[in-house]
Amino acid sequence: MKQKVILMVGFFVLGIFFTFPHSAYAQLKPGEPVILGVTAPFAAQLESADALKVATMALEEINAKGGVSIKGVKHPLKIESQDTRDILPGVPVSEALLAVEKVILEKKAHAIAVGPSRSEAFLASMDLAAKYKVPMMACHSMTPVVAKKISEEYNKYKYVFRVGINSMHMAGIVTGMAAFLNKEFGFKKAYLMVQDVLWSRASSAFVESWLQKEGWEVLGKDFFPTGASDFSASLMKAKSTGAQVVIPMFDMPEAGILLKQRNAMKVQAVTAGNIVELAHPEAWKMFGDQIEGCLNTIYEAGNIPVKAMPKTLIFHEAFRKRWGREITIQHGVAPAYDSVYILAAAIERAGSVDPDALVIALEKTDYAGVNGRMRFDKNHEIVYGVNPNETAVNIGFQWQKPGKRVIVYPETVAEGKIQLPPGMKPVK
Amino acid sequence: MFQGMLIYGLINSVILALVTLGFNLTFGISGVANFGYGGLYILAGYTIWILFNLLKIPYLVAIVLSILFTAFIGGLMYRFILLRLRGLTNLEVIASLAVGVIILEMFRVAGFIGFEYTLPGFISGSVPIGETLVDAQRLFIVGIGMVLALFLWIFTRYTKTGLAFRGIAQEERTALVLGINSDKMATLSVAFGSGLAAIAAAVILPLGIIAGEGGYTVLLNAVAVCIVGGLGSPGGAVVASFIIGYAQTFTATYLGSHWTMIVSLLAIILILVIKPSGLYGKQKEIEEKV
Repeated sequence: MKQKVILMVGFFVLGIFFTFPHSAYAQLKPGEPVILGVTAPFAAQLESADALKVATMALEEINAKGGVSIKGVKHPLKIESQDTRDILPGVPVSEALLAVEKVILEKKAHAIAVGPSRSEAFLASMDLAAKYKVPMMACHSMTPVVAKKISEEYNKYKYVFRVGINSMHMAGIVTGMAAFLNKEFGFKKAYLMVQDVLWSRASSAFVESWLQKEGWEVLGKDFFPTGASDFSASLMKAKSTGAQVVIPMFDMPEAGILLKQRNAMKVQAVTAGNIVELAHPEAWKMFGDQIEGCLNTIYEAGNIPVKAMPKTLIFHEAFRKRWGREITIQHGVAPAYDSVYILAAAIERAGSVDPDALVIALEKTDYAGVNGRMRFDKNHEIVYGVNPNETAVNIGFQWQKPGKRVIVYPETVAEGKIQLPPGMKPVK
Repeated sequence: MFQGMLIYGLINSVILALVTLGFNLTFGISGVANFGYGGLYILAGYTIWILFNLLKIPYLVAIVLSILFTAFIGGLMYRFILLRLRGLTNLEVIASLAVGVIILEMFRVAGFIGFEYTLPGFISGSVPIGETLVDAQRLFIVGIGMVLALFLWIFTRYTKTGLAFRGIAQEERTALVLGINSDKMATLSVAFGSGLAAIAAAVILPLGIIAGEGGYTVLLNAVAVCIVGGLGSPGGAVVASFIIGYAQTFTATYLGSHWTMIVSLLAIILILVIKPSGLYGKQKEIEEKV
């Protein structure tokens, strides 16, 4: 009898020991804020700095309406941010992880609305999310390995979700534009120039494979380390082999040099790919008509005002009013805004900040965001497609006179047609 | 394409030589380790940008002011930091490198990132050389590089200050006996070298954008050129610039651009193993030690 009593007391104590922190964590006192972490390289990367700004905007909008409602009780949102510096060359991944861990352990974040930027750092921080059971959203990292890890070890990595695009989506915009160039102008010879980082390697591999399957001639493919500032060798090869389309894939500021060199060397080819600087609304002022005819990408639709998507117009106007300037980056900013709203809605559906309940609620997300209709697939990635009423959307645009970004892809939201740059003639 | 490679190889080699001139003057000729060279190069670029774009100072005036300012900062760095470590080369390297990194990181933290940080070129347009089109700005850089290299050669051979720079590197005590104030000369040498870095920045940075990463690349290339060419030999530095410049262009053309960084590093290792004093180095004691 005595033994039974001791056993029962022992089990009771163990039960308290294992559930108390869990249940205490999941229960906020009235008025206690819901803490969202933002861990990205703000000082070194504008898209991360702007991600923090739009997350703050979303927080202010939600708090202006009383905050997040958990079982009828309103709780304000609060952001705790840490600079991960993961985008800087030479900064080890471990340093980024320290920043993420600080937000989780010291700042007690209930979820991370924006995770580290570079894929290498984000992949490593997935283990932290798993260890501490903290839902974490990817807004910048584009590697498909994130989804692969979730699908292979769901129970471990179920806390991780991606709101921004992955490299396959970005590659899809490029192949979409390439398909149009082939259909309209008969172009079939391409040269790829790619930054030597995970996302662009993966994207370029997909693009190259698609081009070859569609009967294109891939005349060459060169990789450039982050920080490279001379593209003359590749441009010489593209010119001498008769490339009709040059497909660049870069997110480093130095890639703007490619256009200067292309024009100086008079490489007669359509530039259709991704150069971060070309997405900037002021790029025409910086480069002049050197960029006329260049096709570029906006990774997530919300990063550019789209007439066919009214929420984007409201979002951009609000950003301009709040921060006094335009959004200039094509990736990761709008997803950060949607990320906060998605998390807030999930917390309300779950009725708690309990991580496991939050995961279930996040999986049921069906939210009309600035990027389109936001729903997660079974690997916790937002579904991207061509119709904003059905999916989130990616954008392809072209710089056209007199210095405008004209949205040309997908057709559901297009505001103009692709034009050939001056001096180029169609093949057919 | 081979002709294009030869032409761009020549241009890249001269750009390398121009970038290295200032570093060679201080480290190679005066024996003062200034591993903050890359930071000073970028400091000059951002200074021109700030003066021209924010303070609306005429461009040429902004360049002159930037050169003077960068030279001043270089001199200050020596006077208040490196002077205390004079003779302790390892510590000179560490301290000056720290200053360079601080400069680069300071601009990064202050938000000086992005393609809007560009400088206008001096000449626009392209010039056909054979079948290859070369932008006129690059040819301008080649001209400036040749002029500066000649100036440096004359300066270190036929002027009192230039000879004093060489003197303190060869034998400091003897130089002191001859009335050469080694501290003053070393300060001037670092200031001079920093000014040369600023001139290089003013003509080269318009090719692209001003970015912190460029500072590390400049330092690495400058060290490689000086080591391969041999410390104390401006002629050696020029020859080394051509060797490394062509090696990088050849690598980018036929192997891939992502291998070009390895070229400088490999060059350093090879020369240290085969001929540690460098191709035209005069410091035989390095070889004797090895």
